Amino acid sequence: MVQTATNASGRPVQTMVVQSGNEIAATAAKQINYHIMGYYPITPSTEVAETLDAMKAEGEHTIRMVPGDGEHGAAGICFGASTAGGRVFNATSANGLLFAFEQLPVQSGERFPMVFDIVTRAVSGPLDIRGDHSDIMLAMNTGWIILMASDAQAVYDMNVMAPKIGEDMAVRLPVMVAYDGFFTSHQKRRVEIFADGGTVRNFLGPFVPTVTSVDPRVPVTIGPYMNDPDQINNKKQQADAIVRSHGVIRKVFAEYEALSGRRYDLLDLYRMEDAEAALFILNSAAETAKEAVDALRREGRKVGLIRPNVIRPFPIDEVREALSKVKGLVVADRQDNFGAYGGAMAVEVKAALQGVPGNATRVAARVYGTGGKEFFVEDAAEMLREAVTIAKTGAVAVPYAYFGANAGDPGFTPPKAYEPISEAEASGLTRVEVTPEGKMEVKGSVLRNLTERPKRIAPGHGACPGCGIFVNLNTFMKGIEGHVVVLFHTGCAMVVTTGYPYTAHKVTYIHNLFQNGAATLSGVVEMFEERKKRGEIPKEEKLTFVMVTGDGGHDIGMGPSIGAAMRNHGMIIVEYDNQGYQNTGSQLSFTVPLGQSTSTSNYGPFQHGKSTHHKDTAQIFTACHIPYVATAAECNPRDMIRKAAKAQKYAEEGLAFVKLISMCPLAWKTEERSSVPIIQAAVDSCFFPLYEVERGITTINYDPEEKGKKVPVTEWLKQMGKTKHMLKPDCKPELERFQAEVDRRWRRLKEMHKNPLL
Amino acid sequence: MSHSGNALRLPVKNDLGFFEIRMESIGGLGANVAGKILTEAAIIGMGMNGAGFASYGSEKKGTPVKAFVRICEADHKVRVNSPVEEPHVLAIFHEALAKSVPVTAGAVPGKTTVILNTRKDPGQARDFLKLQGGKIGTVDAMEIAMATGSRVNMVMMGAVMKAAGFFEWKAVEGAVNEQFGKKYAALMKGNLEALKRGYDEVEFREFPVDGRYPATPFRREEPRLGYETAPIGGTIYSVGNMRFKDLSTSRTGMIPLFVEDKCVRCGECDITCPDYCFVWERGKDPGTGKDGMVLRGIDYQYCKGCLRCTWICKFGALLPAKEAEQDMEKITVKHRFLK
Repeated sequence: MVQTATNASGRPVQTMVVQSGNEIAATAAKQINYHIMGYYPITPSTEVAETLDAMKAEGEHTIRMVPGDGEHGAAGICFGASTAGGRVFNATSANGLLFAFEQLPVQSGERFPMVFDIVTRAVSGPLDIRGDHSDIMLAMNTGWIILMASDAQAVYDMNVMAPKIGEDMAVRLPVMVAYDGFFTSHQKRRVEIFADGGTVRNFLGPFVPTVTSVDPRVPVTIGPYMNDPDQINNKKQQADAIVRSHGVIRKVFAEYEALSGRRYDLLDLYRMEDAEAALFILNSAAETAKEAVDALRREGRKVGLIRPNVIRPFPIDEVREALSKVKGLVVADRQDNFGAYGGAMAVEVKAALQGVPGNATRVAARVYGTGGKEFFVEDAAEMLREAVTIAKTGAVAVPYAYFGANAGDPGFTPPKAYEPISEAEASGLTRVEVTPEGKMEVKGSVLRNLTERPKRIAPGHGACPGCGIFVNLNTFMKGIEGHVVVLFHTGCAMVVTTGYPYTAHKVTYIHNLFQNGAATLSGVVEMFEERKKRGEIPKEEKLTFVMVTGDGGHDIGMGPSIGAAMRNHGMIIVEYDNQGYQNTGSQLSFTVPLGQSTSTSNYGPFQHGKSTHHKDTAQIFTACHIPYVATAAECNPRDMIRKAAKAQKYAEEGLAFVKLISMCPLAWKTEERSSVPIIQAAVDSCFFPLYEVERGITTINYDPEEKGKKVPVTEWLKQMGKTKHMLKPDCKPELERFQAEVDRRWRRLKEMHKNPLL
Repeated sequence: MSHSGNALRLPVKNDLGFFEIRMESIGGLGANVAGKILTEAAIIGMGMNGAGFASYGSEKKGTPVKAFVRICEADHKVRVNSPVEEPHVLAIFHEALAKSVPVTAGAVPGKTTVILNTRKDPGQARDFLKLQGGKIGTVDAMEIAMATGSRVNMVMMGAVMKAAGFFEWKAVEGAVNEQFGKKYAALMKGNLEALKRGYDEVEFREFPVDGRYPATPFRREEPRLGYETAPIGGTIYSVGNMRFKDLSTSRTGMIPLFVEDKCVRCGECDITCPDYCFVWERGKDPGTGKDGMVLRGIDYQYCKGCLRCTWICKFGALLPAKEAEQDMEKITVKHRFLK
């Protein structure tokens, strides 16, 4: 064991830091020095991985950081890693948790401990990025232990304790640590941490696997096919383990108190000694509500508050004990168990009380603060007054209600912004002619004339100044005739065009989460066709269906996009490739080239940016043998417009895919106005060649070599703040590998251009 | 811990025991970082307790943001998590915000010191913000930031320190160093100079509540569409209604200027503009006299000042200019939306 310094009380030395919940979670993970973190960025949890990556670039830990292709993939990475015998960590939020959901019972049912930080956030839809508990409550019954961290200090402490609880030989279960998105995750607070990470590692001891998938001397079968009558016995083992964890949690809490001086109980009871009325409420809102308890106490009201530190296993006995003198209770949930007449905690508390003979506690369920709606001391006071009334009258006037919902102004009708775009005004500007040889030629790409085409997106959207996305989408749409229906994946373009009750879209627009946009639009296309067939929609009605995704949406959503390509629906998929997950703060996407820095592929002495080459999405779609694949860039707008027109024509026979490179001034660290020369350099270096693949035949539309304009990749890289380090001597190996890869792909493309069979 | 060891007492605090600061800004000006530095200075450098946070959403660069700081004495627990409504110091980082955001909400004369980044003097600032009264400070943070090679947030932080009165210089310096020292050591000198100049050059004046302007209480806004009136499922029927938004607050000083007689009506500007500001209409070409698409001008309601168009225009018809030197009302050409 490593010796660590102690203070006068004999406890290890602690130090004070000012960190947010996410930063402190990363600090705890760093001190634990997990073997593996499998992750996928999602607001508001992303900072955990970002902070760890930045620390890694500086050599502060050696956790192997593995970015998933989505949360489902990340959870799979974690499951696999945990079978291989080490400590595993992950962090997510909201739909990230839901996308990983299928893996949760696998992890718990096959009994592999790991720690999963859930930075709680509202689940879609409609998409809401702010904090509530609708995500974590859906995970209540997946067999994981769930610790609730009400502030940044608790985030640290519980992250340190979590592995010890889950890894206990009497438990062997995965553990979630849940803390409130934004309220806790992004608030900077004073936190005490152990000065030496060794203290944390000593506390946990080494990871002791029960089984590993990587020991050929002890071969095992993990995850067999198991039906009845065996499976019920597996579940009984699992249920017994989580019940046993109750005692283990208390033991670990006590050991941690001895080490740190900070005490945790299963329930945090605030002024409950003689309370007759109480509020049962979770996490950050409970801390706010304590101020209201104090205020009502000053008025002479006997009120108190119960805030669980653990909700799985549910501390039934402790709750019964805490409520033994309480006559009026309001259980406030930051989510709703729709149709259950209360949120998750209301249902659990009522169930616990059911076992109390002669129970005298009357319960009102309140749903509050969903979607991140702010919770004020006055709100808590109102709930406590309600509890006082219930205690006094012995009756619950309103057993279940929403707290803080707003009926709206009956006299208000949102004003009209536009008349619908008619087919006539959107048509007649471009046309595609098919030559006798069967080649498509586009007429009408004069930019001046195309200013007459009504824009499908209104001004007023909230993109950053100089954003490339809206340049690309507008230019592309200039080549599209007639009526359009668009579907946007989650991402910058989606977020900045639709902040309720506003929308920038003038044509019909659908959002779906970015693991599933292509499948969703497939459904739209097929329903449109079927309804036409049934005569419910006129046969002559023409719509062009366009899906818009970022490169990020084509990491997590690649599967459904390939599915749509294989089914060959009549639609267009447009990918704006801004080289990273810019909406969540510029994390690496798979399209980010080798060596480039992002917030999860930092440059530092111990890490030189992204460690793998960029994804070639256009070639992936080419391999799907769809009618049309193209790449285009804003430095050649006529080419982009021409390709849009062709894509529309080819969409009559099947799926068309177009990839557009798109500058993000913020993430690329460039001047807002200088997009064109930067994009031009990406094209001229042959990093982003302009070409199209028509029914399998490749044509390069602009050959920088032929025109004597080919430049080394450094001409592109030197123009962006995010890549300037690649010109430093220490990045020479990365630079050379990147240049070689760009050249190899370009030579390959040229061969394809020459030979119609390639 | 590096603080002096003497338990510091706050000069003033609210009912919950806090000295509170609210900073009204736009994404990109560094209000969040300023809040973080002040929080860290108070906790690490001065041995106090507190919290620093911001109004988070999916806001992008240029959109309104708020940063909050709560400071309390060392032994006081931070429990409340809701935003700061009636601050002791209210710092407005960007003058133009006052057009679209109720930045002065919760400013209480006698309690709140309002600081505005402006060239105006406190008297003009009071009239501009229509403040009921109280202590108002002004500082030309943009000018100082440019002169020192620093940023607006450093200057504003200096002014906030002055208004708050209890921040220790060494503590803030330490926190600035912690924030930038490692990665941006070269900028430290300028940053500290900007901080110092903000502290020294902010000019305060006290105004009586004289009835010239009404009070500006904080209102917790409730949406006009609610559960009785909103279409189910979150569907929006008023398509394209983002056009009602005013994005001019996203600009930080520069605009493109349209020089009509240089325009050859090539259409490149309409390609490069991400914000769809160019007003093209069918009409008589001033050059050829023929019927065709003609650029009428720029609708500055949507212009974020990225200046892409000034780069793309090879004919000198779009030139970068300082917004402050233009009569924006006069030069803007509005889109025609509904026939």
